[in-house]
Amino acid sequence: MLSAPWFQFSLPDFQYAFLSILLEGAPFLLAGALLSGILEEYLPPSLMTRLLPANPRLAIVASAFVGLVIPVCECGIVPVVRRLLRKGLPVSCGITYMLAAPIVNPLVILSTMAAFRGQGALEMTILRFTLGVVVAVSAGLLCTRFTSFSILRPGLLSPDDGDHHHHGIESGIRGRLANVAATATRDFLDVSVFFVLGAAAAALFGTAVNQEIILPLSTNLPLSVASLMGLASVLSVCSTTDAFIAATLTAFPMAAKLAFLVFGPMLDFKLLFLYGAAFSNRFILLLALGLFVMIGLICWRIGSLNLAW
Amino acid sequence: MHAVIRILSEVRNALILLLWGTGILWLAGSGRLPTYLHPSLQPFTVGAGFLLILLAGFAIMGLATMRRAPGHSCSCDHDAHGQVPHYHHEEHHHEEHHHGEKGVLGLLAKTTVLLVPILVLLSGNADRFTSTTVTNRGVVQDLSKLPSANASAAKAAGNTAVPEASPVKPGGAMPLQVIDMLYALQMPSYREEFEEKEVEMIAQYVPMTTGNPKGDRFQAVRMFITCCAADAKPVGVTVRASAIPKVPEMGWVRITGKPIFPMEGGKRTAILEASKVEPCDAPSEPFVY
Repeated sequence: MLSAPWFQFSLPDFQYAFLSILLEGAPFLLAGALLSGILEEYLPPSLMTRLLPANPRLAIVASAFVGLVIPVCECGIVPVVRRLLRKGLPVSCGITYMLAAPIVNPLVILSTMAAFRGQGALEMTILRFTLGVVVAVSAGLLCTRFTSFSILRPGLLSPDDGDHHHHGIESGIRGRLANVAATATRDFLDVSVFFVLGAAAAALFGTAVNQEIILPLSTNLPLSVASLMGLASVLSVCSTTDAFIAATLTAFPMAAKLAFLVFGPMLDFKLLFLYGAAFSNRFILLLALGLFVMIGLICWRIGSLNLAW
Repeated sequence: MHAVIRILSEVRNALILLLWGTGILWLAGSGRLPTYLHPSLQPFTVGAGFLLILLAGFAIMGLATMRRAPGHSCSCDHDAHGQVPHYHHEEHHHEEHHHGEKGVLGLLAKTTVLLVPILVLLSGNADRFTSTTVTNRGVVQDLSKLPSANASAAKAAGNTAVPEASPVKPGGAMPLQVIDMLYALQMPSYREEFEEKEVEMIAQYVPMTTGNPKGDRFQAVRMFITCCAADAKPVGVTVRASAIPKVPEMGWVRITGKPIFPMEGGKRTAILEASKVEPCDAPSEPFVY
């Protein structure tokens, strides 16, 4: 029995949470857009294909670890992946990198270790990292079965999709800087539209829904796993700090916390909208369902092993 | 039409970057940024404010270049008026190609969405939570439920990472935080430092709707954040006072009184027996971390 209604809306609270999410995420989104601008200007189109292994499956596996070299959190990853896809990165590799990078990333590894101190930090960190890689690679491998057209937003890979010309600005250091700025601006604003919508959804659910509703689910393993994946989506916390929140969900089993830590950085509410900047709606829906089922089943299985941690 | 949309979208881009950047710097300059973000994230956001203005500068320079060279250099077969041959329209989704917009409606929709944060900022309402969010998130009175490495460590080790008790002012009450009382609730050694001594606490007022038959209790709440206000968790202790002044919900109050830690309903609780409760201004650091 809830002590308050399950849904109570307050406009000032919604506005406050909405602005907070935007202020927190904007620098990371901007960093991703600037990186995208730099990649566009300085990364030769053939380099991506030359750096990755020739075997497509190995290339997908390798993409899961790119976050260790180019660590980008989930807010900044979308503009970077959009750009890399336009530069010739295979779609399956782009999706693998996008899903893995917010987890397979030095900052996130350290923060998970710190947050779970005294609660099986090493086990949780290793499992989060491993599950992040496994899920991202599986998603990448599955994507090889689909055509790019069915996965990507229409026009994304079009060779003249608005990014290869710079309105009269030419070469030279100043010109190239202006080109970086022009691409970064376009990418930042394109993705920001989805970020604003995602922040609004996260703020609405984060402030108006009574979080007590998930507490009764904590005693049932599959329900606890599903409910914490739902909570991760609602809270939309940055992957560098979400472990500090997960560590406090003491009523829930560790497998449910693991699901929170893997599902959230791959598909929270703001990401659901952000992915719209690069992928088709149908693909995003399939991705959401696939990730929910895959992570849910794996964590349920891990939970049922009754590991001592 | 395409040329007009292109120019309008470039103008819009410059304007939005300028507004967002100025908005961030205005929040920082007016001292309001700490009401939204953890201190460790504030430099990044301020940096983003400056960068957005810099990008706006580049966008404005780009506009000037466009004015000078309307038939800009791209691989499409534009004429000087921005017109393209018919086959381009069919094959290249030309509107999206140049403007990232799908016609006038696309331009308007994108502009509207991008203006929403500025309108919210200008509304002036968005600087604190009301008691609705406190109710929806529940008031935390158990340290192990606080999202902090220190809390986890304290739980694991029993007595590590406990904050130092604030020194007593000569002839005055000891300044105390809500979170100090929560630590004290779990650690008897820490409790002894201020139990039944006169303390002063600044917190937000939340009325108690349950467990308050005499109507002499309220909750003194502070918001504990990990990254930003959106993840804030209310932490609080019960205050018992013979006279409670008229304070709006979530209004700031200064409470003078003595902490006690009685057993209630079979478990130890933290209560501040107040001798005085008065409204006050918000502290410079509205959150606890």
